[in-house]
Amino acid sequence: MKVDEIMTKKLETIAADASIYDAIERMIDKRIRSLLVKPRDENDVYGVITVRDIVFKVLEKNLDLNKTKVGEITSKPLVCIDKGMDVEYAVNLMTKFNITRVFICDGKEIMGIISLLDVMSSELIKRAREGRGA
Amino acid sequence: MLKNVFGGSTEQKVIDDIKKHIQTLSSAADCFKKGLEEWDKDHMYCVSDLEREGDSIRREIISTIYEGAFLPFLRTNICRYVEIVDEAFDALKDAAFEFNYLGPELEEEIREDCIRIAGINKEMCEMLAIAFDTLFNKGDLREKTLAIRIYEKKVDDIKFELISKLRKKEVKDFWEGRILSDFIAYLTHISDVIEDASDYLHIMNLSMR
Repeated sequence: MKVDEIMTKKLETIAADASIYDAIERMIDKRIRSLLVKPRDENDVYGVITVRDIVFKVLEKNLDLNKTKVGEITSKPLVCIDKGMDVEYAVNLMTKFNITRVFICDGKEIMGIISLLDVMSSELIKRAREGRGA
Repeated sequence: MLKNVFGGSTEQKVIDDIKKHIQTLSSAADCFKKGLEEWDKDHMYCVSDLEREGDSIRREIISTIYEGAFLPFLRTNICRYVEIVDEAFDALKDAAFEFNYLGPELEEEIREDCIRIAGINKEMCEMLAIAFDTLFNKGDLREKTLAIRIYEKKVDDIKFELISKLRKKEVKDFWEGRILSDFIAYLTHISDVIEDASDYLHIMNLSMR
């Protein structure tokens, strides 16, 4: 199975100078666990901020949610793979880099994201379909 | 399991008809998806044709059951299951009906979401057929019903996204808004009904143990 078959196209972005509080609000409203962080300028690249980053890098350290900026805890660069790659390859990358989501790109354009939950769901559906007549 | 325990000819007829019923629903869902992809209102007539066919299969199944197929304690559950599948036909037909009154074209973003939901609805119908087959073999029904719940969750996610987009959309008049709202409501209701049907399969499975 190819990654673009199971990816989520819903990508929410946030500015690097937005506060962590804004990021939390956005994640809760949209029921998502990560946000794509926009580049600050032409020389910058996209990054990602996750719930995990917020918990371990901000909440656990008791930092001020309104004063801490998204850009301060953003992970860069994105781990990005081509839309035609196999899901297995994405899972290998997740294992290698100890991450739970991989971005899907077409050239420089970010098309979507796949998370561990997407991988698990698609694998369960695949098994349920293949199990026919077992 | 059904087949092994209640393998009479009337029971077999009911089982075959139930399979036909789900296959017809699957064809209707496929037809709906194609109509939406091609934005072809004439294409949608196949949905109401298949819904009528589904109605006639449902009547046949219920008649056969009350002529004596299956033990009485199983009849209610089987009939209820068939009626739930019939509700999915109704929701699909209603969505197809509203589609005929939609404007010339939906905004690309909304249309793409609707096509995705129609695609998932079709896959859910196929999974329901697979789940029903599991009642007669050693397959794991729990695995299939879980897959259906995953599909339903996907539809739910798209639905919330779609509704937030629709709230920002300007409508020209009452009917434009009403038709669009009803169309989305019926389209997203199909997955709920299929999930209910799969839950009933689980109940049927338990009642036969």
